[in-house]
Amino acid sequence: MRKLFKVLILSLGVFTVYIIYTGSVKLYDIATGVIVSLIVSYLTANIVIEDWRKALDLRRVATFIKFAFRYLLIDEVKAHALVIRLGLSPRLSLKPAIVKIPINSRSDYAVTMTSLAITNTPGTVVVDLTEDNSVLYVHWIYATKIEPQEAYKEVCEVFDSYARKVFD
Amino acid sequence: MATLLDWALVIIGQALITIGVFCDLAAAISMLRFPNFYTRLHALTVGSVGGAFVPIVGVAFIAAGSEFLGVYRWFLAGSSLVIAVVELLLAGSGSHAIARATHRAKAAPTQPIIVDKLEEERGG
Repeated sequence: MRKLFKVLILSLGVFTVYIIYTGSVKLYDIATGVIVSLIVSYLTANIVIEDWRKALDLRRVATFIKFAFRYLLIDEVKAHALVIRLGLSPRLSLKPAIVKIPINSRSDYAVTMTSLAITNTPGTVVVDLTEDNSVLYVHWIYATKIEPQEAYKEVCEVFDSYARKVFD
Repeated sequence: MATLLDWALVIIGQALITIGVFCDLAAAISMLRFPNFYTRLHALTVGSVGGAFVPIVGVAFIAAGSEFLGVYRWFLAGSSLVIAVVELLLAGSGSHAIARATHRAKAAPTQPIIVDKLEEERGG
């Protein structure tokens, strides 16, 4: 019974992506989409979903959409401006460092979202993380702060808090 | 007959592609100028987010505003959007995988660097 709900929730997501991808709502596409999404989600539901109730929580979805807009419009633009300015400036004044950053997210999805957000902003790349997902080692091209807590505030406080709201 | 909304979509898309071209150029120049592997990864990120994700979203806007495409209009727009999102997920994973493997195998020098906490934790 629990697997049934997992499969249905996941296939709803897969079906949405399929319909966006094909860009048409003819009967042929809908039928193919339903069949393919049911097969795919039956095979992968146990790996992909832990708690299907979280996927139906509209507050989490709304927070995620808000985060996506904020991330793409503010954080990405700032980081791009910084790295492009560094790369094109004549003196090339870099301060590269690998800093240690403790994070509060614990579940796999939250840690993945935090570290993808960090890696996808130019200027910071997650090099490694500890076994218990508590500390990230981040290569930072313009390290203004070396201390873990201050680096946490500078690099990933926003991502971490949003990731906890969405996935934890 | 193209409506005003279609024109607006096409112009937004062209603006996004222009941003992408600029980011790609800057990424290419930075890639040549930065001193070592790890700093070049940041130039790579400029190229893969600003120079790939943004223009693909721009292509989606242009396709959505181009009526002459007929049945392919929403197919192009939708598939570009899906591709952009997948690219955003995979570019980050790829950079992280390369950086992690390189640091583990010590395949590239980390100098110049101010502090390397990971090396210290591993015991030099």
